[in-house]
Amino acid sequence: MPTLAIQDLSVTKNNAVICAANELSVEPGERVGILGANGSGKTTLLRVLAGLERDYAGRCNVNVTGRERVYVHQTPFLFQSSVLANVTYGLRARGVGRIARLTKATEWLERFGIAHLKHARARQLSGGERKRVALARALAVEPELVLLDEPFAELDEAGADTLVAILAELRETTLLIAAPVELPQGVVGREYRLSG
Amino acid sequence: MEQISEGVREAFRLVITADPLVTSAAVRTVWISLLAVLSATMIGLPLGTLIARKPFPGRRLVVVLFRTGMAVPTVFIGILCYALFSRRGPLGPLELLYSPWAIVSGEFLLALPIVLSISHGAVKSLDPRVAETAFTLGAGPLRRWITDLSEARVGVTLAVLTAFARCVTELGIAMMVGGNIKDRTRTLATATALETGKGEFGRGLAMGLILLAIALAVTGFMGALSREERD
Repeated sequence: MPTLAIQDLSVTKNNAVICAANELSVEPGERVGILGANGSGKTTLLRVLAGLERDYAGRCNVNVTGRERVYVHQTPFLFQSSVLANVTYGLRARGVGRIARLTKATEWLERFGIAHLKHARARQLSGGERKRVALARALAVEPELVLLDEPFAELDEAGADTLVAILAELRETTLLIAAPVELPQGVVGREYRLSG
Repeated sequence: MEQISEGVREAFRLVITADPLVTSAAVRTVWISLLAVLSATMIGLPLGTLIARKPFPGRRLVVVLFRTGMAVPTVFIGILCYALFSRRGPLGPLELLYSPWAIVSGEFLLALPIVLSISHGAVKSLDPRVAETAFTLGAGPLRRWITDLSEARVGVTLAVLTAFARCVTELGIAMMVGGNIKDRTRTLATATALETGKGEFGRGLAMGLILLAIALAVTGFMGALSREERD
């Protein structure tokens, strides 16, 4: 059974179609780049798949539960707390014990090279640091389906390289990455283009 | 002018010597207001956030009604409570009229629209990504509600403090349903009115100064919170 399947999906706002995707089926563990120009509906498509946009026409089957999928906004939102509290948020929501969630969060912050910021106020970080925290927070819950909206935007070269390496390690995770341009080599297995 | 300076001196003397009448009115005022605000918060906070998050037909009207409730004169609430608690009123058998509990009930009605409207506004004006991020990270309804309150904590605290400041300083409800009974229902506001009316200007001013000190403390706290928000 595919992780997700879309057929003739369209989202209309103010009498204008803002997203139209004819057919897309993604198998477990597959990585797909959703490419398209600005305004082509990439973000809207990811929001539909994340369960944030429910007003659509067509068919959209996502065969993982809400807790098994995560979505990271193009400009991520960090809660008004420490970096560590942000990264443990999803783990806490899943009932993971204190020690286990602190260990896991620290581990993910280390992978993103920002462990030294774990006690910093999340709102005081730079754009790139925020992005890394949001990605660490999403991946720390080890979801089956990861929906990333322009994850490489705002990341510097080192940050982008780190993310490419981390995504390469997530072999069993299904990935959908929206981007306006080609993604770095090896990040996705295939591309799906939205014409807009 | 001399009368005022004499009044101020008398006020300080009464406060410093912890005059029993002044102290008992101050303590009663604070506990009555705290109880009223606490109960209003327990109902107003969940309702305010629920109204902010869940669309339903007539939501705008409900919000407008509660906002209007913020401006209702305390005398009107006092009359309403009097009608409820008087012997022939629907709650007459409870015999609460001229008791501190009648004032608590009236101040609850005063505080509820304040807590509800301001907390509703605070949650409503949150970045939509707050709820979306919590949802996509797997948070259930209760955790999402706690997250909303946490993200809107400055606004929520302001709501509670504003309600407390309003209750502490109100006169209409305490006078109408409390009756200003010595050692039973006399609050700082009613005592101020009574003492000043009797010509005990110093005593009246002392009560007024304590009210002013409480209002200043609350305002200072609100200011500190607003600064934290800006930082």
